[in-house]
Amino acid sequence: MEVLSPYKEATDVILEAGGEPLKLCYQCGLCTGICPWNLVRSFLVRRIMHEAQLGAIDFGGEDVWTCVTCRACVQRCPRGVEIINVMRAMRRAVASLGIGVVPDALRISAKNIAGVGNPLGEEAEKRNDWAKDLKVKNFASGTEILYFPCCVPSYDPDVKTVARSTATIFNKLKIDYGLIGTEAKCCGEAIRKAGYEDTFQSLAQNNINLFTSNGVKTVVVSSPHCYHTFKNEYPELGGKFEVIHITQYLASLIEQGKLKLSKEINKKVIYSDPCYLGRHNDVYDEPREILQSIPGLELIEFPDARENGLCCGGGGGRIWMDTPKGERFSDIRVEQAVEKGADIIAVACPYCVLNYRDSVLSMGKAETIQVKDISELVAEAI
Amino acid sequence: MSFEPKIVGFLCNWCSYRGADLAGTARMKCAPNVRIIRVMCSGRVEPAFIVKAFQLGADGVLVLGCHPGDCHYAEGNYKTIRRMSLLQKMLPQLGIETDRVRLDWVSASEGDRFVSIVDDMTEKVRALGPFTKNSDEEKHG
Amino acid sequence: MEEVKIGIYVCHCGLNIADIVDVEEVTKYATTLPAVVVSRNYKFMCSDPGQNMIKEDIKELGLNRVVVASCSPLMHEPTFRRTIQEAGVNPYLFEMANIREHCSWITEDHKAATEKAKALVSAAVRRVYYHQPLEIKEVPVNPNTLIIGGGIAGIQAALEIADSEHKVYLVERDPSIGGHMIQFDKTFPTLDCSACILTPKMTSVGMHPYIELMTYSEVEEISGFVGSFKARIRKKARYVDEDKCNGCGVCVTKCPWKANSEFDLGLSERKAIYTPFAQAVPNIPVIDTEHCAYFLKEKCRACEKFCELGAIDFEQVDQIVEVEVGNIIVTTGYDSFDPTPITQYGYGKFDNVYTGLEFERICNAVGPTSGKIVLKDGSEPKSVAILHCVGSRDENYHEYCSRVCCMYALKYSHLIKERTDAEVYQMYIDMRCFGKGYEEFYKRLSEEGVNFIRGKVAEVTDRAINEDEQGKLIVCGEDTLLCKTIRVPVDMVILATALEPRSDAAEVAKLLTITQSADGFFLERHPKLDPVATMTDGVFIAGCCQGPKDIPDAVAQASAAATRVLALISKGRVELEAATAVIDEEKCSGCRICNLLCPYSAISFIEDEKVSRINEALCKGCGTCVAACPSAAITHRQFTMEEITAEIEGVLV
Ligand SMILES: Cc1cc2nc3c(=O)[nH]c(=O)nc-3n(C[C@H](O)[C@H](O)[C@H](O)COP(=O)(O)OP(=O)(O)OC[C@H]3O[C@@H](n4cnc5c(N)ncnc54)[C@H](O)[C@@H]3O)c2cc1C
Ligand code: SF4
Ligand code: SF4
Ligand code: SF4
Ligand code: SF4
Ligand code: FES
Repeated sequence: MEVLSPYKEATDVILEAGGEPLKLCYQCGLCTGICPWNLVRSFLVRRIMHEAQLGAIDFGGEDVWTCVTCRACVQRCPRGVEIINVMRAMRRAVASLGIGVVPDALRISAKNIAGVGNPLGEEAEKRNDWAKDLKVKNFASGTEILYFPCCVPSYDPDVKTVARSTATIFNKLKIDYGLIGTEAKCCGEAIRKAGYEDTFQSLAQNNINLFTSNGVKTVVVSSPHCYHTFKNEYPELGGKFEVIHITQYLASLIEQGKLKLSKEINKKVIYSDPCYLGRHNDVYDEPREILQSIPGLELIEFPDARENGLCCGGGGGRIWMDTPKGERFSDIRVEQAVEKGADIIAVACPYCVLNYRDSVLSMGKAETIQVKDISELVAEAI
Repeated sequence: MSFEPKIVGFLCNWCSYRGADLAGTARMKCAPNVRIIRVMCSGRVEPAFIVKAFQLGADGVLVLGCHPGDCHYAEGNYKTIRRMSLLQKMLPQLGIETDRVRLDWVSASEGDRFVSIVDDMTEKVRALGPFTKNSDEEKHG
Repeated sequence: MEEVKIGIYVCHCGLNIADIVDVEEVTKYATTLPAVVVSRNYKFMCSDPGQNMIKEDIKELGLNRVVVASCSPLMHEPTFRRTIQEAGVNPYLFEMANIREHCSWITEDHKAATEKAKALVSAAVRRVYYHQPLEIKEVPVNPNTLIIGGGIAGIQAALEIADSEHKVYLVERDPSIGGHMIQFDKTFPTLDCSACILTPKMTSVGMHPYIELMTYSEVEEISGFVGSFKARIRKKARYVDEDKCNGCGVCVTKCPWKANSEFDLGLSERKAIYTPFAQAVPNIPVIDTEHCAYFLKEKCRACEKFCELGAIDFEQVDQIVEVEVGNIIVTTGYDSFDPTPITQYGYGKFDNVYTGLEFERICNAVGPTSGKIVLKDGSEPKSVAILHCVGSRDENYHEYCSRVCCMYALKYSHLIKERTDAEVYQMYIDMRCFGKGYEEFYKRLSEEGVNFIRGKVAEVTDRAINEDEQGKLIVCGEDTLLCKTIRVPVDMVILATALEPRSDAAEVAKLLTITQSADGFFLERHPKLDPVATMTDGVFIAGCCQGPKDIPDAVAQASAAATRVLALISKGRVELEAATAVIDEEKCSGCRICNLLCPYSAISFIEDEKVSRINEALCKGCGTCVAACPSAAITHRQFTMEEITAEIEGVLV
């Protein structure tokens, strides 16, 4: 028989680190049943909640790092447990208190972010290089909009097109916008979920000071992750500006008649809701409105869409960690899209772009299906 | 010793007074600074009561009634809302900081809410310090 | 005015007060207050010796005001008022200082508690000084009773009162009484046939000389107060003359037009002229004008042609009936939760996903399938899953436990086992079998071989991943005891849906000036000690309108409410609120501001004299008008400006 000795110190660590709501869990198991991990492997969310309640967590195990923070469970938990906060608290305990092991890949990204301000480890000075030939001005006080593309489109050669498409659209519409200097750093959303609270705090302070001293009032972002933290987490730290996701912005321009999409895209397009745009922030309609206003485009839906949409696998810092083949949600998604006969998977998040493009390549489906950010599609259709 | 504010509480008989009783019955602990005067309905609370309380040495006044829509007399507390928002506007003229007067709702089952309102109010008034305004100035206000 | 002589009594309440508050110090302090003649403390003031102490002082010292510093006035104010009244002092010359709930029980700081107790005593003394004797007026209680809602609770209450030969008006919205219970086949845990135990009661109601049954009717307005309420009731047009119709039903047989049956929850059809079910009380059909060919297209009238008694009356209109009653019992019951918003369970999307209530109809011998448990295609299910807590114990829908679902889920398991060869899976979070004979029923079902799986179901899907799942509904979730995610392929899914407040509960509450608790059910006066009364005197609640419950509890509450009403009827009179408001007509400027403010319309404007006047019988003493009168012409007895000012001064010492 195993002796249950509640490891109170560990529970306290979780509680202190912000895991308070877990007390409410009544062990119904709904979260386990919902969690997408169980499509590919076992991940007993409920049991983790119980272990955390009793302080019996295996801090050395991989469960601590598994959750993709997709929010599917939180959305339906009957006791309103903020499961993601509990997961985050466990990671914090490991990352900052050193009572477990941080996966290598994550440790490297975390080091990069803390060091040079982006997870890719690229030089800070090159942050705006993607826009070199596009004649984008620097943000100066009085500029209407700050465009903040996210580290991935800023540096990753395969995803730069997201930022470049956005700039192209803005240039065509003569929108008064600018890029902030290269002192800008990663928004910090994902590294916070990965447990690096101190890193997040310093990134946020850096960005808030930078935005505030430049007189930024409105930020348009390409990434739902930047959107989430700017909108919901920065205000508590003193960063108060209007935050608009690119899909919201483009949809409003279309509605006002300022953006007209005239070129046909005669393709079947399936839209995948990014978790941080959908479940985390309730933006479901705007991306669809944009796609529907592209002439010739036929919009189709995944079997699980909107609130029930499947995660790409990139949230919660998982984008930097290795997921073995056979366990990648994005593979399932690509398969479903192919089955539905889609030509293009449309997304609205740089992490989704990365993951889906990877899957399409590794599954050898590049001939059958493409992955495009909505901004790329709009740039084509304008 | 830190300053212990004196707060006069006007509580309606049907919801808030019962909520306050419940806090006691459940042995919840809260700041002992609010001294409760029972009225039948928050609608009975005249602005004059509140001004009087300050004249007589109160540092704060708390008015509690049933949640809007739940007033035992159907709509007494809607009258209170209107009356209190007028009073809130006049407070600065009377030299009374607006944080010293608070209108809120506590139902008969919300002992915990009563406690948190009382504790919060006590802290706020403690931070403001004793109310000092001689009656002379008040006339000019 | 005679000299004011105040006596103060500080209670220890055992150690409840004395442990924290220095009662000696408070007693000593009280002697320093104006007009105080005597100040004492005692272990239990509410005990006989405590009360006698007060009585003796009144006699010996000629006290004419009394203050007791003890518990909440909501607890013992009536007790001490009676005490001084027995000693010849007007009961309103009394005041209580709440030094327990508001003082000794909320702090551990002896000094602060003692100071606060002194302040509260000082306030009570200063206030009681100004109290004036008030006259207690009584009004007679009208012996008739109005009962709203004819489910089992309403039926039970109506019969209990009517059997004592007092008149009951029973108002039911549907064409027949019976409520939810008449829809059931069997009732847990005894498995009695629901109709067998309920129809005799329904018939008694229909024939009772002291019950005036108004079905297909709704209460539109209530005015007045305990003892004498007036109710305005709308009897909707049935288009069938109740006096002529003998319930032969030929009209129903001949009617060629159909609509979904509400009683069968859309699982069968009924005619445009119909009685909801065979044993309806009254057995008089109604015409549904939304589906009747005559009302839609001005043709047909088949029913009229075949009715030999000439009971069909297309010209009938709604009737408004006014009744006068002394008490009201509300028994409007519950609604069954609609699980459509929980899209993952596929209700409305998959053919064989049913709610609990729908399954009741499927089991029912006179239901749409004549009691055969079958799938939509008519075949017998080989496996059935019952999902617990659908809409209950879930912050996204209802936080509370619906209390009967575990039990009706067990009932279904039994019925399925009895009538089919199907495997049954109970997907539960916790089994709650709290009532008499309930745990035994659970045990019996375990013996019958039901599979119990602990875990809240995440999804019901038709996406098969292997041969076995083809064409099935797959129930997915975690078996929390096995620590494994599972997929259970079944043919039929029953959702044990929650009981929720009636969709119009807020309007009914408003109509009766009663309140709803946070969950939306009607709020009782006290959750433990006064479960059937409400904050409005003369209005009682029973059955599921107060909260989810089973039939035995609903019946017990109904009987309790009936008893409360009978007690008032037998006493024959009620006291009116004495602490009312009065207008000084000299001061009244005739502005009429107060007229509209009064929630009880107690203030009228006397045109001739250009002043407002308060009807004391209607005034409930809320004080709203008092606070609003720009001429300060209104006095609130017991809450005068003088009294409140004195009290403010008192608490601030
Ligand atoms: C699926 C299911 C199975 C159940 N099985 C069992 C069981 O086996 N055993 C058991 O003990 N309990 C069982 N219950 C619980 C049982 O249904 C209740 O305890 C019981 O029906 C409560 O009776 P009631 O009179 O309070 O309410 P209801 O039965 O809801 O009756 C209320 C009546 O009031 C009428 N009404 C509503 N509003 C108005 C209005 N404004 N004006 C006029 N009339 C109005 C309605 O038309 C209705 O006739 C079950 C519940 C469910 C959902
Ligand atoms: S869904 Fe919520 S209550 Fe249920 S096991 Fe998960 S965390 Fe606990
Ligand atoms: S947030 Fe998503 S990945 Fe994380 S536990 Fe919940 S359902 Fe699973
Ligand atoms: S008149 Fe209406 S109710 Fe009568 S038989 Fe025709 S359709 Fe039916
Ligand atoms: S005290 Fe209240 S109930 Fe009485 S007359 Fe005034 S407003 Fe009406
Ligand atoms: S009775 Fe509580 S506010 Fe009116």
